[in-house]
Amino acid sequence: MGVKLLLDKAHVEGIRTYDVYRREGGYRSVEKAFKMGPEAIVEEVKKSGLRGRGGAGFPAGMKWSFIAKPEGVPRHLVCNADESEPGTFKDRYLMEFLPHLLIEGLIVSSFALGSNATYIYIRGEYAWIVDILEHAIEEARANGFLGKNILGSGFDCEIYVHRGAGAYICGEETALIESLEGKRGNPRIKPPFPAIQGVWLRPTVVNNVETLAAVVPIINMGGEEYAKIGVGKSTGTKLMSACGNINKPGVYEIDMTISVEEFIYSDEYCGGIPNGKRLKACIPGGSSVPILPANLLLKTAKGETRYMNYESLSDGGFATGSMMGSGGFIVLDEDQCVVKNTYTFARFYRHESCGQCSPCREGTGWMEKLLLRLENGAGKLSDIDLLWDIQRKIEGNTICPLGDAAAWPVAAAIRHFRDEFEWHVFHPDEAVKRNYGLAHYADAIHVPVG
Amino acid sequence: MMKFNDTQLTEFNRLVSHYPEGKQKSALLPVLHLAQDTFGGWLSTETMDYVAELLHIAPIEVYEVATFYSMYNLKPVGKYMFEVCQTGPCMLNGCDNIIAYITDKLGIKAGETTPDGMFTLKTVECLGACGYAPMMQLGKTYREHLTKEKVDSIIDECRKNAAKNN
Repeated sequence: MGVKLLLDKAHVEGIRTYDVYRREGGYRSVEKAFKMGPEAIVEEVKKSGLRGRGGAGFPAGMKWSFIAKPEGVPRHLVCNADESEPGTFKDRYLMEFLPHLLIEGLIVSSFALGSNATYIYIRGEYAWIVDILEHAIEEARANGFLGKNILGSGFDCEIYVHRGAGAYICGEETALIESLEGKRGNPRIKPPFPAIQGVWLRPTVVNNVETLAAVVPIINMGGEEYAKIGVGKSTGTKLMSACGNINKPGVYEIDMTISVEEFIYSDEYCGGIPNGKRLKACIPGGSSVPILPANLLLKTAKGETRYMNYESLSDGGFATGSMMGSGGFIVLDEDQCVVKNTYTFARFYRHESCGQCSPCREGTGWMEKLLLRLENGAGKLSDIDLLWDIQRKIEGNTICPLGDAAAWPVAAAIRHFRDEFEWHVFHPDEAVKRNYGLAHYADAIHVPVG
Repeated sequence: MMKFNDTQLTEFNRLVSHYPEGKQKSALLPVLHLAQDTFGGWLSTETMDYVAELLHIAPIEVYEVATFYSMYNLKPVGKYMFEVCQTGPCMLNGCDNIIAYITDKLGIKAGETTPDGMFTLKTVECLGACGYAPMMQLGKTYREHLTKEKVDSIIDECRKNAAKNN
């Protein structure tokens, strides 16, 4: 069993309530944090090497240190709970089963940043979790952990839950801020960065749910101890949400030293692929990161074992690697169609494009139509080159990363599975009846030991 | 003219109180949820104008938001809305069969409502339940690990609840 820092108490009966959570050692980090003071907390988070768990992997302590502190201007911490990257459902799990862990992390982080009014921006569909969080907030307030002069520290803090209404783009921090202001979720041009001018033009830090929850063990054990877990710049633990064709879909906390093969096949994690089928491909970090065929997933291009951490998953760049992203781990078995899978993601990004930037607004719809045509056996060989051309012209040419997120899965699918796309063109009658199958990726298939 | 009752106004005031003085527009998204839940599951122009008036903002500021976010319905919907996810992970786990089954069983295509106004079928993009696929949203909750049998029992449950409430 690997180290667990976030989900270690997830199965304790009644852990959702304040009393049980407190009895199990909850809210200790708040008491410790008040003794340390804001600067020391930021230092510990820096030392921990904690990287943003939402997808970008930016060092959290550094992000905190950018916040401007103009005299007399309130600052805000905003928790990004808009979790909407396909394949990702880890924040939901954390909020649903350990709401007080998030509240505790938010209080410590609010104190470190000087936020007296902190917001949880939660995706609108997680409606029942709003009730769970608001109940936890009420319990925390009733026990003196929120409100005025918390534990006699002189620090005032309120946490409010703000419910979104269905928009992937609001997971992008400036779109989230616009949405929090009651507007359409159109991303802002940076600079100014939120740390200087965020919500209501006040200095703002936006962090993912898991990132803020991780502040609790960091304060409890110290940044240096936290940094000893994991490997290299992948410190601490990471929540992975595993789905697709696996025996045990769910949320797993990993310490980032295990191999991809172990994660997929071990009974402790995904438990292998159902019905004895073989592994074809995997999208290891949410729909926007590059899909990898089995041979490049389990081993890098150099033939080394690939591990479940930021560096190893991105080994080889986009040519032969992928990304840790949000931790949305999507497995495809031998009977899945890469063209169809890519089509559903292209449709997703067309649906979610805010429409501000032409390359994304026009390009996502164009890619969706081409992919549908190919999937239906009506595509031309030139459509594949056209798809490549469109994705290349979207990438890097938009205000926010949604354009890149839409381009990457298409690029990677063509890069690694071009033969499957061509098969759809050359065998249109077969393409509507059956899937391409495993082809030469079979040579990389995991052979169970013994 | 439809208006919030006292309980709903208390909730409205609670939502507005979350934001700084003069920034009441920030409450727009939560208030639109409240309005949609209160006034028949969708947002008419009349409802949106009422929300604008309550928040002291121009009606266009409400329209542009209501048309942006997928959870706001701009036309009437059935008493029960089946929002079935069709993105990658749900597709890998057979959501196409579930959508086809519902279409067949209720005699409506995605985006349509049954003639008796009971059910609306809507296909949606990823709802963050990928590990529990295939799935749908029904009201405030998720229905996961869907099978044809499960869909049957959900439909029965809705019909029973509707009969009870009449």
